[in-house]
Amino acid sequence: MKIWEDLLQDIEKNIPSGAECELKMMHSKSALTRFANSQIHQNVDEESADVFLTLHKDSKTITISTNLTALKNPKDFVSRAIESLNNSPLDKGWAGLPKSSQSFNGLSTIDESTPDERANKVNDFVSQGKKMNAAGYCSSYINNYFVWNTNGLNSSDSSSSAFIDGIFRTESSAGSSHRGGILLSDIEAQQAGSEAAKLATDGENPEDIDPGNYEVILGHEAVSTILVFLGVYGFNAKSKIDGMSPINIDEKQFDDQINLLDTPEDDDSIGFKIDASGSKKRNLEIVKDGVSKTYFHTRRTAKELNTKNTFHELFGWGENFGGIGTNIKLLEGNVPQEEMIKSIKRGIYINEFWYCRVLDPITQVVTGLNRNGSFLIENGKIIKPVGRLRFTQSFMASLAPGNIVSVGDKSRYADSEFGEGMLKVPALHLKEFNFTGGVSG
Amino acid sequence: MFEYLDIAIDSAIESGAKYSDARVLISKSRSIAAKNGEIENFNENEKIGIGIRALVGSSWGFYSTYNLSNESLKLAGKKSYEIAKASAIVSGKDMPFADVPVIQDSYTTPHNENPFSVSSSDQINLLIESTEKMKKLGSSRAFGRLDFWDTEKWFASSQGHKIYQNIIESGGGISSLSVGDGETQIRSYPQSFGEYRTGGWEVVKSFEFENHIERLAEESQRLLVAPQCPEGTMDLILEGSQLALQIHESVGHAIELDRILGWEAAYAGTSHLELEKLNKHRYGSDLMNIVADATLPGALATFKYDDEGTPAQRVDIVKEGIWTGVLSGRDSAAVAGVDPGGMVRADGFGRLPMVRMTNVGLLPGDSSLEEIIQATDNGIYMETNRSWSIDDIRLNFQFGCEAGWLVKNGKIIDMVKNPTYTGITPEFWGNMDMLSGEDEWVFWGTPNCGKGQPSQIGHTGHPASPARFKNTRIGVRG
Repeated sequence: MKIWEDLLQDIEKNIPSGAECELKMMHSKSALTRFANSQIHQNVDEESADVFLTLHKDSKTITISTNLTALKNPKDFVSRAIESLNNSPLDKGWAGLPKSSQSFNGLSTIDESTPDERANKVNDFVSQGKKMNAAGYCSSYINNYFVWNTNGLNSSDSSSSAFIDGIFRTESSAGSSHRGGILLSDIEAQQAGSEAAKLATDGENPEDIDPGNYEVILGHEAVSTILVFLGVYGFNAKSKIDGMSPINIDEKQFDDQINLLDTPEDDDSIGFKIDASGSKKRNLEIVKDGVSKTYFHTRRTAKELNTKNTFHELFGWGENFGGIGTNIKLLEGNVPQEEMIKSIKRGIYINEFWYCRVLDPITQVVTGLNRNGSFLIENGKIIKPVGRLRFTQSFMASLAPGNIVSVGDKSRYADSEFGEGMLKVPALHLKEFNFTGGVSG
Repeated sequence: MFEYLDIAIDSAIESGAKYSDARVLISKSRSIAAKNGEIENFNENEKIGIGIRALVGSSWGFYSTYNLSNESLKLAGKKSYEIAKASAIVSGKDMPFADVPVIQDSYTTPHNENPFSVSSSDQINLLIESTEKMKKLGSSRAFGRLDFWDTEKWFASSQGHKIYQNIIESGGGISSLSVGDGETQIRSYPQSFGEYRTGGWEVVKSFEFENHIERLAEESQRLLVAPQCPEGTMDLILEGSQLALQIHESVGHAIELDRILGWEAAYAGTSHLELEKLNKHRYGSDLMNIVADATLPGALATFKYDDEGTPAQRVDIVKEGIWTGVLSGRDSAAVAGVDPGGMVRADGFGRLPMVRMTNVGLLPGDSSLEEIIQATDNGIYMETNRSWSIDDIRLNFQFGCEAGWLVKNGKIIDMVKNPTYTGITPEFWGNMDMLSGEDEWVFWGTPNCGKGQPSQIGHTGHPASPARFKNTRIGVRG
């Protein structure tokens, strides 16, 4: 991409001698078509080109960032970085730059989706529940990422992704569904709409039930939220360093049926094949047969814990956030959802969680609510829709040995509290889940 | 910059839009994070770009770009029109758009020292010294952070608006984390996630971190050995910053008109409030008087015009416990038949302006924290937020705080850990029976309010003073 080549040439010649330098640029085209009350009400398209420059010299480090327009004069930009570098304290955590052998070139040209194409996907979704009120979004992204450093690394990669996520509402209920993929054409908007419409229809006139410990079936979105919390707060090596992670490597902390991977190398994985440092990502076992196998590391956390980097730096999140897995997959089991329901004497189906917040990081006790499709199951059958419940439950305990009854046989990309496209998961059948409050508090 | 805006807006109108507005922003930010006497993160950022909206029929389109070349600006206008046209593929009811006065004006946040003119080494040293001292006093991890924003904004519309604003915001905070056997406890100052206001470096200096370091280190360690917060129904006394978040979650979001109209239904949710109940619905006790005031000097959400060119205002939201007002923009106000409230803002040039809380605050009462404690026979006093969760209609909530104090017979008896409380919005506010006065009224700021898709982070203000809530369910644990 010419803008990157020009930028690199201009910056490179202004780098002070003896400095280690890392230059990154993210060029993105993002579009999101939003609908509510069954009509498109917000429709946005953005082109951005953000630049990050890191300098390390005399044991000091500075990162400054800008976009191509604000950058104006590359010489001034580097001078500003040097001035800030001089004001900076010693950086004891500096872990160096990746070597040139880590370079990767995956740059490609990807066609943008048009506003009309996104609107048509929205139409496909909305048309599945004609009498109901639809809301949601259809989005598409193209990102091109470039990294260069003074070790000679020169990496680039392209990625695209597209999503549809929506709900249908009736007077008394709502149902949601979600689809994600690499291209907009991959997105099954009608199928997502049909699922959401059925949940909303089946969920009409919900009844309140008493809080307590229930056997539960968690739908894709609910499972995704549990795993993203464990990924961000548990498997993130920064959490371990800060004394706030419940994860202990080589301990059997989860049920035998939990097998968790990070799979950036898989063809169907969304996102870049390189991390923010420009290093090639690798597929990784996170949990094997219930045993925790690794944290997500960045250069700095790997240095601090004296272990190998797993290449999980995220662009733009800052050095102090640690490593995040962006291609987490929970391996499928072999139990269809219908079989899960048949096996339950009394329990609840939860489609989606909402507003989950950590009460205690070390036990990962989290509180949140259910929404968009919850049903009481009795004697192997769905009996009735149920209203709002608040849970206060350790997410670690929810997946602990003995608490997984079965793992669903179908996985898909599922939305979570931390965004789209990060997790591909099946449904889960759990022995116990603790609901601490109902609609009356 | 206005000439850039004119090129883009003219292009949108020439393409066929019936209305267009646009903003050029120069946004500077500086963010510093420290841990245990060392800097963990120092980042300076500057971005420039344009965001343009076009209205075609009843459909909106928005396009943004970093590229301010003539060709790109013309393309931006055209694209905003094309996107709006595509919106009509899935159309519905006509969407009116309220008129507001056409204004040409400028405004700069009053401040003493621009935080970007202050040497970053002074700011870095403040954090290094604060966290180093806390660590030496026994904190397992001592954290500190400072953030500064300097945003120059040029707004113009096809109706003739030309408004320049320079908004300066500053703030930060420090925390002491203590790690025990299978648990962590934290104490933060001025509040969790930091305290932020409009203004310069003087905002941070006013916090006087040095006077709170010892207390934070001591309290975070003491919490490890403190008894658990008791479970039961009793009186709850909330310190100001926790009450500010309570206002944010259970009032601020609930009164956003876009939520009430269902525009946020799929993501942020809707509201338990229905427009038919405006001026009738009892939100809380007679002591409850909430205003949304974007004109409060020094509060975090203070400006002169919103991102649609509507003047900043003070709007009554709850008067003596009765719901009286909403947060609105030009489109949502027109749909609901209310006056536009000047409450629409965007997170940078690349995001669509949307309804955002301004300074949604609880007006002070005539009591004091001391009097409230003296008047309480059996209760818990809770300080500083640690977790928050509320349902998607803003009714059922559960909050956790960093520290609690058992209050018996008018006196603080003991510190308790892991304090939580839960409730239902109108019942909870209906139980507010004592409220501190102006002396303890603080302009708390929330710098991390997420809303919208694509995601936007908003800066909101919540003036509040300590208050008591009777018969609250306390001590929920998993």
